[in-house]
Amino acid sequence: MTIKTELMDSLIVAKKEFKILFRKKALIIPLVLFPIIMIVFFGYGMGGTVKEAPILIVNDDTGRASSSLVQEIGSFTEKYNGDPMFSVTYTKDMSQSEAESKINDGMYKGVLIIPPEYSESATKNESTTLTLLTDSSDTTTSSIIVNYMRQLLSKTGSVSLNIPNIYGNLEYLDFLIPGVIALTVFMGSVATTGSAIAGEKEDGTLVRMLMTPISKRSVILGKTIYQLILQLGRAVILILAAYFLLGFNMNGSWLLISLVLIVFTLGGVGMGIVMSSRVEDMESFFQLNMLVTMPSMFVTGVFFPLSSVPDWMRYIAYCLPLTYAIDAMRIIMIKGQGLNAISTDLIILSLFAIVTFTAGVRLFRREA
Amino acid sequence: MEPIIEVKNLVKVFHSRGRKITAVNDVSFDVFKGEIFGMIGPNGAGKSTTFSMLTTLIKPTSGSIKVSGFNVDKQDDKIRPLIGIVPQKLSLYPLLTARENLELMGNLYNVPKKEMEEKIDYYLKLVGLEASADRFTGGFSGGMKQRLSVIAAVLHDPEILFWDEPSTGLDPQTRNVIWKLARKFNDEGKTLIFTTHYMEEADNLCDRVAVMDSGKLVALDNPEILKEKTGSTNLEEVFVRFTGEEVRD
Ligand SMILES: Nc1ncnc2c1ncn2[C@@H]1O[C@H](COP(=O)(O)OP(=O)(O)OP(=O)(O)O)[C@@H](O)[C@H]1O
Ligand SMILES: [Mg+2]
Repeated sequence: MTIKTELMDSLIVAKKEFKILFRKKALIIPLVLFPIIMIVFFGYGMGGTVKEAPILIVNDDTGRASSSLVQEIGSFTEKYNGDPMFSVTYTKDMSQSEAESKINDGMYKGVLIIPPEYSESATKNESTTLTLLTDSSDTTTSSIIVNYMRQLLSKTGSVSLNIPNIYGNLEYLDFLIPGVIALTVFMGSVATTGSAIAGEKEDGTLVRMLMTPISKRSVILGKTIYQLILQLGRAVILILAAYFLLGFNMNGSWLLISLVLIVFTLGGVGMGIVMSSRVEDMESFFQLNMLVTMPSMFVTGVFFPLSSVPDWMRYIAYCLPLTYAIDAMRIIMIKGQGLNAISTDLIILSLFAIVTFTAGVRLFRREA
Repeated sequence: MEPIIEVKNLVKVFHSRGRKITAVNDVSFDVFKGEIFGMIGPNGAGKSTTFSMLTTLIKPTSGSIKVSGFNVDKQDDKIRPLIGIVPQKLSLYPLLTARENLELMGNLYNVPKKEMEEKIDYYLKLVGLEASADRFTGGFSGGMKQRLSVIAAVLHDPEILFWDEPSTGLDPQTRNVIWKLARKFNDEGKTLIFTTHYMEEADNLCDRVAVMDSGKLVALDNPEILKEKTGSTNLEEVFVRFTGEEVRD
């Protein structure tokens, strides 16, 4: 069999896969929406950022120190998508319980109460206590406000606060998006490859196809071509959606991103083939898939930095290929680094692809 | 008569959940060019497994098979274009239309586009599926699937047609169509090998019939001669004579 016929055969397979995909309305919608929903939910809900969070400053002090503090908060216009993060209102002579009820009513996300003796203590370098009330039912906004205030106060020196190194809430989306892209491509390529093969085993169409003159190689190649187009397509949709819905920073090269995603998709396809060779039907595949991809989802630092997890979790993460894909994606997208910086990640991902593909081709037998 | 398939000492052993199943146990026979060759035998006798080996789908544990002079072990890619297969488990893509299923098969067998379309139209009409050509096969009845599957197997004009249980579960009308098709393909010079649980069908169609039981080939001859030899009036009796009354797992 010549290379040309093998290639033509694989295109027949890829075409068939697409035709069927476009008819699986129930599949195509989640396939596209899943990553977008994930970004929107996690982006807004978990870390995210805040937009014009209403903040009230109750300033009972008339000294210079407090006014400069107030000014600083007021002029804080860290922008997200063109919107300032806080919208500040000022008042004085308000009791704490009164302030609390304002938060209860949802009027303010946070209230900072500056006591009358603040400026005096500041000049004397004595420590004072500012009261910060936040709407803790809104975890995102409240933690951002708390963190911001802590940082601010730590600069004044009068209040010594230990600021834990939280992973830049202000850039959480920038942190999240590369991870979600890698996760999407990984889960997508493993699940769609594996479940399609398991389904074709179940309904006999895989065996039927292998009865024809087409070679095993062509079938696998066809499915791979299909997956590369599908997964890169999903990545593009995801990136566009994230860009237009939420906005994010892209500091590196799209070409490198494509390279990482292509290599990683190959690994995912290989893994899907290997996994599907262990099962006889779709249902068992999905069970197996849960077992294999769930840890990847939660351990590899899609949603939080690996530096913040316990050691044992980090060691597991280092065994999972998704970790390296996410790392590479972040290095490119956030840090804007080049090929050198991701070479280790790329080598590991290539090994992953080679190993799973070799195993997949071996395990993908005519004997169903 | 010229053999088109030569089977020698064919054995297939499956290992399934720690159990060893000898599905085909030292079977030897020839199939002659141009004949209609039937295989009968109780459930689990090894008919489909034999088919799978003859059609290069699974490798024999031991023994040899030649199809059209090619060895199944080493020249399977020479054999596949020469044969057409209608598997026992009819396997069509439910989200492709009848025509798309056929086109896919035609393409996989490298049938030139124009010729393929002509054949598809011709056969769809022949089996009465032209009105359903653009429907998804997911909604097809068993009879429609069977008719469509046989078209899928002959678009590339194979020398040998393997047909595993062509009429199981079909109504008399559809069975009639199937029989007509079988004769037509045979008249065109194709060698036909099929399995069946309908003794009447084997009796009517076959030049020779092979009786399998528990992996063994227990009889092989012309239906009339088998009846004569066993003193039976019909093939049903022949079948019971060779395979006993016992029900199989
Ligand atoms: N892939 C397999 N793995 C394990 N055992 C198998 C496999 N395929 C077939 N068998 C076993 O081999 C034996 C022969 O099966 P086969 O399907 O060839 O019988 P058959 O004559 O076609 O039966 P039927 O008339 O029911 O179609 C059976 O016991 C079956 O369970
Ligand atoms: Mg069978």
